[in-house]
Amino acid sequence: MAEKKIILEVQNLTKYFDTPKGKLHAVDGVNFSIEEGKTLGIVGESGCGKSTTGRTLLKLLEPTAGKIIFDGQDITNYRRSQMRKMRTEMQMIFQDPFSSLDPRQSIMQLISEPIKEHKLLNSKAEIEKRTLELMDIVGLARRFVNTYPHELDGGRRQRIGIARALAVNPKLIVCDEPVSALDVSIQAQILNLLKQLQRDMGLTYIFITHDLSVVKYFSDDIAVMYLGQMVEKAPSAEIFSNPTHPYTQALLSAIPIPVVGKEKPPRKLLRGEITSPVNLPDQCRFMKRCDACQECCQNSANPQLREIAPNHFVACHIAK
Amino acid sequence: MSEKNLEKTTAAAAEQEKDHILDIKDLVVHFETDEGCVKAINGLNLSVRREKTLGLVGETGAGKTTTALSILNLVPSPPGVIKGGSIVLDGKDVLQMKEKELEHMRGNEVAMIFQDPMTALNPVMTVGEQIAESVMLHENLSQKDAFERAKEMLKMVGIAESRAYDYPHQFSGGMRQRVVIAIALACRPHFLIADEPTTALDVTIQAQVLDLMKELINNNHMSMLLITHDLGVVAEVCDDVAVMYAGRIVEVGTTDEVFNATRHPYTEGLFDSLPNLKEQGEELVPIKGMMPDPMHLPEGCAFAPRCPYATEACNQSVPELRPAGGTHYVACHAYDDPNFRLRRNANG
Amino acid sequence: MNETMKATENLQEYKGRSLAQETWHRLLKNKGAVVGMIFMVLLLLLAVSGDLIYDWDTQIDYMEMGVARQAPSMEHPFGTDQLGRDVLARVLYGSRYSLIIGVGSVVLGLIVGLITGSLAGFYGGGWDQLVMRANDILYSVPNIMLAVVIVQLLGTSILSLVIALSISSATSFAKITRASVMTIRDQEYVESAYAMGLPTWKIILRHIIPNCLSPIIVQVTLSIGSNIISASSLSFLGVGVPIPTPEWGTMLAEGRQFIRSEPWMCIFPGLAIMLTVLALNLMGDGLRDALDPKLKR
Repeated sequence: MAEKKIILEVQNLTKYFDTPKGKLHAVDGVNFSIEEGKTLGIVGESGCGKSTTGRTLLKLLEPTAGKIIFDGQDITNYRRSQMRKMRTEMQMIFQDPFSSLDPRQSIMQLISEPIKEHKLLNSKAEIEKRTLELMDIVGLARRFVNTYPHELDGGRRQRIGIARALAVNPKLIVCDEPVSALDVSIQAQILNLLKQLQRDMGLTYIFITHDLSVVKYFSDDIAVMYLGQMVEKAPSAEIFSNPTHPYTQALLSAIPIPVVGKEKPPRKLLRGEITSPVNLPDQCRFMKRCDACQECCQNSANPQLREIAPNHFVACHIAK
Repeated sequence: MSEKNLEKTTAAAAEQEKDHILDIKDLVVHFETDEGCVKAINGLNLSVRREKTLGLVGETGAGKTTTALSILNLVPSPPGVIKGGSIVLDGKDVLQMKEKELEHMRGNEVAMIFQDPMTALNPVMTVGEQIAESVMLHENLSQKDAFERAKEMLKMVGIAESRAYDYPHQFSGGMRQRVVIAIALACRPHFLIADEPTTALDVTIQAQVLDLMKELINNNHMSMLLITHDLGVVAEVCDDVAVMYAGRIVEVGTTDEVFNATRHPYTEGLFDSLPNLKEQGEELVPIKGMMPDPMHLPEGCAFAPRCPYATEACNQSVPELRPAGGTHYVACHAYDDPNFRLRRNANG
Repeated sequence: MNETMKATENLQEYKGRSLAQETWHRLLKNKGAVVGMIFMVLLLLLAVSGDLIYDWDTQIDYMEMGVARQAPSMEHPFGTDQLGRDVLARVLYGSRYSLIIGVGSVVLGLIVGLITGSLAGFYGGGWDQLVMRANDILYSVPNIMLAVVIVQLLGTSILSLVIALSISSATSFAKITRASVMTIRDQEYVESAYAMGLPTWKIILRHIIPNCLSPIIVQVTLSIGSNIISASSLSFLGVGVPIPTPEWGTMLAEGRQFIRSEPWMCIFPGLAIMLTVLALNLMGDGLRDALDPKLKR
């Protein structure tokens, strides 16, 4: 990875949903870009718009506004049929290994489906061979080739999901909470697998998760989202050593640390809960839960990301 | 059970009554299904000290929830069968109780909090009514007094009294779990079983709820069995910890002992699998393989097929819990060799 | 490499049971369903071979007043009716009418219900409104009344009975199809198929419809039973299959006036209706349990 090639650039990505109560700001003006072979972690709690961001940039949902530039092509206005060709380049791994696999298809059918659909291989023998290869790559024993998803456990199912995503040789994979439904020991297996695949195939990941500890292990850059907006974005090490946005700080300190008897950083408890993202006023969205909130916050508009250190962006009026 | 045995258990129970609120001995619970016998719990020994919190840690299918249900004698039957053992709670064996006594015990002495706060609440009753109902079931109070108590309980879990008139769907996930906690504590139980109480919640909300639970347990001099898969939560809340694998306890001790002087290879594997202890880029060390199928458990130690230290002896017999210093116990054949150390402990 | 060598290894080795085989296996474990199936297979054989076994003119529709209203005997195990016809022969021969009407009306209703229901479920919006409101209107009219009106309009015949009964079946099929399509449509594996780049029609055909089929298959079995009852009721009321066709309901109507003196003229066609519907319901219940692979989880 000598030259730094930007593989995905997202400008002002916005997705509103119309609800009976008003406009739901699922994603509200998100900007970022990723270099090839890197991982961007998108972190936030339920309802912050991280999953919608992932689905919108793959155009599984139509963006309300903004621009998505993938590998130099502006795909924002691509129609469905045009996007179908792009699917070999950008793929997704889903959160729930139980509902993301068609229960009526065998493992062979599931993994070979994308190969057949995009006519990557033609003869039946070649397709079968490639399917078995993919099973080897993701560490699924070949004896499962004719079984059905309900016969397998969560970890193996997630490996099927990964094999399906890899089947088309994509450049970018959006991983939407790929391990949050799995047990710790299985989680580690899947995380290691994803990391090894990235090394071997030069994959680019967008890693969506609510679990900061997972992204720390995994990501080059981390973006923290709150109520549809990015509130902080920085290289992984920087965000952990120097979290600047009050929300990031609270999020970090809320993780229970599995250490006993040694000194731990003091807990910073957030008060209240996430507010509804419907009909938001033009104000700092974290204000009501923020312990650093000052008068200037209440009187000013919604803060935008600004660079406070090289590559460290934060959207807060008071952060320095 | 023979009379002699019964005598023995009651004598033993009396002995430990002072410091243990719960004593589970040699519990075996199987589920007999059409496809075969699921061996959920296979000789479980577990004690909870008075006014202490014990964390029960394990992965999906380890038998944690079945343990909790057994304590309340609520294992769904059929297919569940309690094959043997005793569960002595506050001096009385739960498994010998009549239905009437059990009903009295559930709620009055023991309360349970489940993982999913939404399904635990009745959607057509206000939360105030639900707490009041729980109060009235166990205490002789008028409806009005019970509702007043409900409001107090809400205040105690950090919800405004005025919200007693709201319905569950008007609350967020974290708030609902607070309501569930209020219901559980409404009749002042001595012992609380919490089955993954914060797993469905966001981290910041989890932190709030854990803080609340810790405070309530301390203020009310209660004991708690906290079931979780998250070692972080254990470190945060528990005094003692028991690690469960394939229906048995493999390691038990105070959190300090288990976290800082880990003895069992499985516990070590769990720690190594955690990403948050690692620096970025370092490989995680997962436990290889999967949990054994509880229908076909291996002959010897259930963890042996996944264990990096396993020897021939491990496939022969099931290891018993053995003392490992202080209140620390471990079930592992490797300690037959007095010089055996886990890698985790080798370098300090 | 070793791997590529292995890749061509015989996949047969890993052959597991297919989903259909597994469903069949589970169905066979259900005793009620097996009894129901055996009964239905026998009935089907009778219905198909009815013309080979019986002669219409001499065995089904004839008068032999000499042996009229005889109680069951060796010669006439089910007795004879007021015209001296053998009740056993007529009951057995009559199975074909019940099956034709039951199956015919369900198939017709299924086609209409499946198409309208899946479109309503998949696309939602205005189309959904249209289909569901039309359904609500049909639902609010009693089935039997609706059928009576239609039969009156089209004239009494088996075909008009089939059409009349298919309308109420269509509404229930549309409702069930719509509901399950709507559930399946929001499943993550459908989204995953989009992410994979599959065109919509393939997703509907390959991922949505197969997963909707279980409740529909069950409903088909149960509907055949209820339509057989409806057909018999209509015949009994005199707006179904006309006399002298040995349809079970018609036979009941004919035997009604003799119910005190010669009850076998009603008992046996009535029993035939009951057993057939019971068999279908047992099959339906068995299928419901056997078809759901998620039951195990």
